Amino acid sequence: MEGFSRVDIFDTKGMEYLFVIGYLILLIIFWRLSTKQVSLGKQIKQVIGVLTANVLRIPQGLFYSRNHTWTHLEESGAARVGMDDLLQHITGQVRIDKLLSPGEVIRKGDLLTEIEQDGKHLRIFSPISGTILDANSELAGSPELLNQDPYREGWIYRIKPSDWKKETGSYYLAEEAVNWSVKELERFKDFLAVSMKKVAPEPSLVALQDGGELRDNTLSHLPNEVWEAFQKDFLDHNS
Amino acid sequence: MGIDRRGFLKTIGVAGAALTVGKSFASSPETTTKSDTEFYGILYDSTLCEGCQSCEFACAEKYELPFPTEAPVPDVIKKTSDTQRVVINTFNTSKGEQFIRTSCNHCNEPACASACLTKAMYKTAEGPVIWRADKCMGCRSCMISCPFDMPKFEYNNPNPKIQKCRMCYEQMKNGEKPACVDVCPPEALLFGKRRDLIEIARTRIYSEPEKYHHAIYGEHEVGGTGLLTIASVPFEELGMRKDLGTTSYPEYNKTFLYSVPAVLVLWPAFLLGLNNSFLERKKRIKQEKEDNS
Amino acid sequence: MNTIQQPGFFKFMMNELKPKGKIITPFNVIAGFTILVAAYILFFRFKDGLGSVIHASQDMPWGLWINFNVITGVAFAGGAFVVTFMVYIVGMEKYRPIVRATVLYALLAYMFYAGALLLDLGRPWKVINPIIGNSFGLSSVLFLVAWHFILYMGSLFIEFSPTITEWASLKKVRKYVVNLTLGVVIFGIALSTLHQSGLGALFLMAKPKIHPLWYSEFIPILFFISSIFAGLSLVIVMETINQRVFKNDMAFSFKSSHRGIMMSLARVCGVTMFVYLTMTILVFLHGKNYTYINTGWGAWYLVEIVGFVVVPCILFMFGYNRRNMLLIRTAAVMSILGIILNRLNISTITYHWYDKGFHYPTWKEVVVSAAVIFVQILVFRWIIRRMPVYRESPGWVTAKKENQSSIQKEERSKSWKVLAE
Repeated sequence: MEGFSRVDIFDTKGMEYLFVIGYLILLIIFWRLSTKQVSLGKQIKQVIGVLTANVLRIPQGLFYSRNHTWTHLEESGAARVGMDDLLQHITGQVRIDKLLSPGEVIRKGDLLTEIEQDGKHLRIFSPISGTILDANSELAGSPELLNQDPYREGWIYRIKPSDWKKETGSYYLAEEAVNWSVKELERFKDFLAVSMKKVAPEPSLVALQDGGELRDNTLSHLPNEVWEAFQKDFLDHNS
Repeated sequence: MGIDRRGFLKTIGVAGAALTVGKSFASSPETTTKSDTEFYGILYDSTLCEGCQSCEFACAEKYELPFPTEAPVPDVIKKTSDTQRVVINTFNTSKGEQFIRTSCNHCNEPACASACLTKAMYKTAEGPVIWRADKCMGCRSCMISCPFDMPKFEYNNPNPKIQKCRMCYEQMKNGEKPACVDVCPPEALLFGKRRDLIEIARTRIYSEPEKYHHAIYGEHEVGGTGLLTIASVPFEELGMRKDLGTTSYPEYNKTFLYSVPAVLVLWPAFLLGLNNSFLERKKRIKQEKEDNS
Repeated sequence: MNTIQQPGFFKFMMNELKPKGKIITPFNVIAGFTILVAAYILFFRFKDGLGSVIHASQDMPWGLWINFNVITGVAFAGGAFVVTFMVYIVGMEKYRPIVRATVLYALLAYMFYAGALLLDLGRPWKVINPIIGNSFGLSSVLFLVAWHFILYMGSLFIEFSPTITEWASLKKVRKYVVNLTLGVVIFGIALSTLHQSGLGALFLMAKPKIHPLWYSEFIPILFFISSIFAGLSLVIVMETINQRVFKNDMAFSFKSSHRGIMMSLARVCGVTMFVYLTMTILVFLHGKNYTYINTGWGAWYLVEIVGFVVVPCILFMFGYNRRNMLLIRTAAVMSILGIILNRLNISTITYHWYDKGFHYPTWKEVVVSAAVIFVQILVFRWIIRRMPVYRESPGWVTAKKENQSSIQKEERSKSWKVLAE
């Protein structure tokens, strides 16, 4: 019963004060973290973040098709094909699941392979006709090769071409390729502006103001509908 | 006496049993600690006191203080001091000359112990409120807080002590009684568990209702004290204050002390938010100015 | 950078320690004399015990040093938390010229008044006990107040340290310390709220001993609110004095902004006093204190409230309205007297009001009290004459700030360029 043994109404004060001191320290950390927000300006300044024409790699000596594939005739007579740098900048990290097997015969414009990212697909069509000699098996385990080194380690097939001269005649080479890439980039920006209006994601994520530069790996932020539209506009040329 | 020893023991037995059962139904607030040891106390029966001052002499001898030199004078109030821990005063009351003992009341929840920032004033689990020399820094907060003004300070000592009854705490732990209780010739002082002393006091009052004033001073005053007094006249006639209330004095600090952690939590968060909103406003105004210029 | 300064630093300190200005002035003589007498008194205080010096008794345990220097003096240091709130939290640049002086005053006030508290302790050498943990008396309000004093002194020191680093040319240290300012100001305001009210809470358990007109459960809140206008009134008085005494150490911007700041402070004081009056009346009604008004104590209470709270409040508002500096200064002095009166009433004058006899301090207490204040003023003066409190900060501070803002401007224009392409 009360009044017959010791009570201390301030018994917990020590614990409370220690807790409050801990709280004050945590508050500083918490407050600092809560005001961190990646600013728009920062996005511009990210070193790899800006997709401008000067970023693109366009090695000389390769033929570039309008479907954003490249092809190169080696001394051995075999031609390597792969996807170009602009395409890999636009899509970001992708995977290749299915590859044709050696010995298969393909024609120009046939499906070479499909690249995939988070359930979104793009179909890559062959720039030349011929027989598949070899497919790059490394790509299954290391798909980043497509992005890091699309022209060498990231090759997709070695093909024995059947009609090299005729088919590559209409492709871009050297300085023409550079000009064309720059124009493609602009065309992509316009394409985006149109798609944005349809899809309406947050515009600041992808592009900055009118006339602004694009964020790298632009398509990776955009949904399936845009990928489909991109496929039609940029990868489905039949020439 | 209106009650004999057998009756006395019977009452104690029944009372004790009843109270033990009652204890299990008591609830304790979550913010308090409880111990299993029960308080001891002293019961002072003013009707038995003869004013012989034996208690004063015994206390002075034990604690090496000077022996008191004056006998109590009616209606002249003598207070405890830095050389005297217990005093007997006398008053001319409606029932003639009555004596009253003044010393530390050993409150259940002492104001002095609550005010002491070094825990030099300490409420022991056994009941006595003791002063511990090794911790005291002489701030005298205990003197400000005590409603009875009991702690006395040695102002003329470069290494000052606080002088106050300590219910002979060391002796109590060895099973002995306090010096004053031991020596009292008419047995006006009784030492025991506070619970039992209240029962005894009530028994005395109920047994002889004309002899006693029907109250125990210290049963509820300031939340209950260890020194209990019963007298034949109302306590005001004996110079004791009745306006001290029944709340324990540390409760007066409760609101303030309980809100300290809350302020330390809320104020920084609120101020941070306020600061942030003012800074944003400033930025926005500056931005607008630049845009317009 | 610092190694080059090492031999220079010693020389610099020796140079700074030399007195600037005349040594024999009336103020210096009085201050010096008081301090010497106080030292003599304190020798006896420690040799013969407190009783030989102060008039305290078993019924009145606290003397002038605690009741005046601590409980009253600390209220006047409340200007720091109000002004730092206005400048750093709310961003009112208007008050920036007085921030450093106010923080300096508060820092010195706490240091010396906590020192005065040490003098009033029976065993000052044991003051280490509640600090190092040899039993924390957690239930004690004085424990809280003591700890807050220590923490708040640290906060004030950090708030003032940019000035010290500027004086001692410690550039890197200054940068580090300036980043701490906001955090330390916020902590300081929370601490101030608690210990200003805590000084009042010290008396909460003395309910039966203080006159009911002055005692209530709301004493802590009243102490806190009164510390706001007490601190600001003191800032008004202090700035008025400093404008004259330190005019050679003051940059023009401090002199020209003086009037405007004083006017604004007067308004804040007036409004706060109005709130304080309302709280006082609320407490009065709550405690049914009208039964005491007809007594002598009642008259004294009215003198304190009407004469020293209502009147200064009105004077502040009139002074602000008419832009009259004389009214404002008078109001500030009266409100300071009112605070002293209120605090002394609670702690001394109405303490044990039912006992006959008037409690008064000894001349020795008064001398030591005054000496503490003199030492505080002397240190204050030493610092003002040497550190950039009223002077513009040294060139490298403003240069750095301009550099920073121009770098920011450049970066911003660069980013716009990228967008434009």
